[in-house]
Amino acid sequence: MVQQTDRPAARPAPVRRRRFAWRPRSTLARHGLAVLLALVAVVLVLELTSPFRNSQLATMSYYAIAAAGLTVLTGLNGQISLGHGALMAVGAYTTGLLLGPEGDGTLPLPLIMLIAAGVTALVGAVVGAAAARLHGPYLAGATLALAVAVPGLAIYFDHTLGGEQGLRIASPDVPGWFDATIYFLFAHETPSAKYLAYLGWGTLLLVLLLLANLMAGRAGRVWRAVRDDEVAAELAGIRLGQVRVLAFVVSAACAGLAGAVLGVVVRLAAPSGFTIVLSLGLLTAVVVGGLGSLVGALLGSALLVFLPPAVTNLGTAAGLDGTQAAQLAPFVYGVVLILVMLLAPSGAVGVLKKVWGRRRRKR
Amino acid sequence: MSTGSLEVRGLTTSYGAVVAVDEVDLVAEPGRITAVLGANGAGKTTLLRTISGLVRPSAGQVLLDGADLTRTRAEEIARAGIAHVPEGRGVITELTVEENLRLGALLGAARRRTEHGLAEVYEMFPPLAERRRQDAHVLSGGERQMLVIGRALLTGPSVLLLDEPSLGLAPRIVAQIFALLRGLVDAEGTTVLLVEQNARSALSIADAGIVLNLGRVVARDDAATLAADDALRHAYLGF
Amino acid sequence: MQQFLNVTLTGLGQGAVYAAFALALVLIWRSTRIVNFAQGAMGMFTTYLALTLIEAGQSYWVGLVVALVAGLVLGAVIERLVIRPVEGGPELNAVIVTLGLFVALQALAAILFGSTFRSFPAPFDLRGFTVGDVNIAFTANSIYVIAAVVVVMLALVALFRFTDLGLQMRAAAFSQEVSRLLGVRVGRMLTLGWALAAVVGSLSGLLIAGGSLVFPAYMDAVIVYGFVAAVLGGLDSPGGAVVGGLTIGLLLSYVSGYLGSELVALAALATLVAVLLVRPQGLFASTAARRV
Repeated sequence: MVQQTDRPAARPAPVRRRRFAWRPRSTLARHGLAVLLALVAVVLVLELTSPFRNSQLATMSYYAIAAAGLTVLTGLNGQISLGHGALMAVGAYTTGLLLGPEGDGTLPLPLIMLIAAGVTALVGAVVGAAAARLHGPYLAGATLALAVAVPGLAIYFDHTLGGEQGLRIASPDVPGWFDATIYFLFAHETPSAKYLAYLGWGTLLLVLLLLANLMAGRAGRVWRAVRDDEVAAELAGIRLGQVRVLAFVVSAACAGLAGAVLGVVVRLAAPSGFTIVLSLGLLTAVVVGGLGSLVGALLGSALLVFLPPAVTNLGTAAGLDGTQAAQLAPFVYGVVLILVMLLAPSGAVGVLKKVWGRRRRKR
Repeated sequence: MSTGSLEVRGLTTSYGAVVAVDEVDLVAEPGRITAVLGANGAGKTTLLRTISGLVRPSAGQVLLDGADLTRTRAEEIARAGIAHVPEGRGVITELTVEENLRLGALLGAARRRTEHGLAEVYEMFPPLAERRRQDAHVLSGGERQMLVIGRALLTGPSVLLLDEPSLGLAPRIVAQIFALLRGLVDAEGTTVLLVEQNARSALSIADAGIVLNLGRVVARDDAATLAADDALRHAYLGF
Repeated sequence: MQQFLNVTLTGLGQGAVYAAFALALVLIWRSTRIVNFAQGAMGMFTTYLALTLIEAGQSYWVGLVVALVAGLVLGAVIERLVIRPVEGGPELNAVIVTLGLFVALQALAAILFGSTFRSFPAPFDLRGFTVGDVNIAFTANSIYVIAAVVVVMLALVALFRFTDLGLQMRAAAFSQEVSRLLGVRVGRMLTLGWALAAVVGSLSGLLIAGGSLVFPAYMDAVIVYGFVAAVLGGLDSPGGAVVGGLTIGLLLSYVSGYLGSELVALAALATLVAVLLVRPQGLFASTAARRV
């Protein structure tokens, strides 16, 4: 290690960022602008791709919603959760109970989704309170137990919750005004698959906007402080327990929302859809993308959705039969998780940041 | 009989941007106690930890009888004959007194230096014999010091590195331990590097000494001369 | 009364296996401060190896030996290649690595051995004893299970308490730095710790599989129950792992017998939460309450 001699503060006169002088000053506005641009991109992509891709993108949207919440919890606040699949189940089942198999519930869909998020947030508060004092492997083990236990609950209460078969959930009708607008803009019809993708991505962008603002604001700073040095944070007057629970509640609300979207996209809420593999898949997405990064959560979710078919095709091409090839995807997840931790613990976003990192100051 | 001449050349160790040991040269000879003195943060502990391999230096060399040990792993350096009694004594409190000693004896057996046996250590330190089957955490400070010195002896070392053995001990016990040390060195010709903040006591049994300040060697002489140098003492040694 | 007896005996048999599994977790925790979430998957994998041999005509005992040896090798290789780089770093990294192993091993087993349920032979009689006209759900196989676990535990105790190697392993687990200064090759001790734990995990996998069905996810629940057992006893305490395992085995058996088998996982969760809230260091921790 070469010793660095003290360099005199050689900062030049403040550089005025001429290039982006038109960027709005406030964080909310900046994020809002980004989301708006993303919305335009989403619309274009959805209109220009096939219904099959649309449904893949719909799937990606609910993974991303859950992953975004999880990355805030794990990356920003340092609490690992292996139970977010179970939280998604809460959201999905709530939606199923409120929406029903025929869609004849009296509540509008957005309200139902909000309720699902709220109920899951409540569960998250309870779990978070129990988990607030746990660290590392204890927390992982406890949330793993949660992930394993919740499907059992659904089977036990099989009258209300449909047992093994689960609850059938209606697919929402495409609202008239939406159909008309899209037709007006693009002269396209809006089949159910595309509408669901819009629903999912609309929700996702909203969630990303909210989370981005939270992360950039006081809550984000407090969460990071607790992650990095608890003792110091406590000495600074931060109530550790409350902060931890809040992070859990936020991430649980996201998971609940994701579960709601999952419910209407898949049209089913059943125990088999919420296995440990789901929770671990979310963790993979978050880790690979980069802990604490919303963009990373997006990237990781894309991986979750688009990697399995690609890998499965490779498998069948290499001579494996169908079921075996299907297992290639989780195998790759596992290997990827290990490799990322060994080689690039800060995930894809971390690697990219390092590459561009010359100009940025590292903490 | 185990002897070993320890030499350190241009040793530099950094923790990130902080240079803790700055181009230190040192020769410690067999049969002599060399004191390493200086204020808190002078780099004394880091120096010992670099020699024993717990920390990697960024530059320089550590030589034992001419053999370069610089980037060897700590356990191999211990097997080569350098016994380091670390800051805080290094008692493994979850093990019994006897088990701690046995660990030392195991290393001694591996090095084929079995001149000292458990029985001898118990004779040297009767309190240890009384508590041999108890968990080591029941020992007092002085007893712990005896334990780790006994344990180090059992390894049959050529070089003994001691980090602040007097810390937290009553003066009477310190005197006992130092007398013991002197006796051992005279009898066996071991090389001893003694890090101490308690410079007065250290110089009273040492043959030679170096003084560190902010990682650099600021004085190097035989013990009597150092002790007599008032300006030096006031500036770096606190008395 | 008969049901109570049967449920209790079943619980003891299962508890013995959970105890073994919890012991494996504790071994690894003590030496590397990592909870090996992949322990069950490792045991599952070696059990499949045994099954392949048994279906090819070998005896159960050959399968057993092969599984144990494979476990030894697997544990050593995993520690050296995959765990060593993340030891001593942030806890999160190690947890994620073991989870990655868990997922990868399970998928690999499905690819190599198929996902269908396959039956695994038991080496001893699976019929219960009959005392008078009472049918007891305790079988010759159950005796074998408990005996196997007891033998392995005694062997481990003997290793740790009475051998030089065991002393070095314990020293390396309690204080890596001081041990290195005493010439203990800490790296090798860690590898050995993982290898031994993996052997115990392999044994657990085999004992659970005996007389039952094997499929890639069959050890999933055991990881959770074993973890709860280890936490109940205190992650630092091997004796605690044994007591914890037996306790959990009995508890879950009662829940399954009297309340319904779907609630077993929930009961385990509830136990875990209760322990972590009331006495987080476990029942037998000798060290002061650690931060969990």
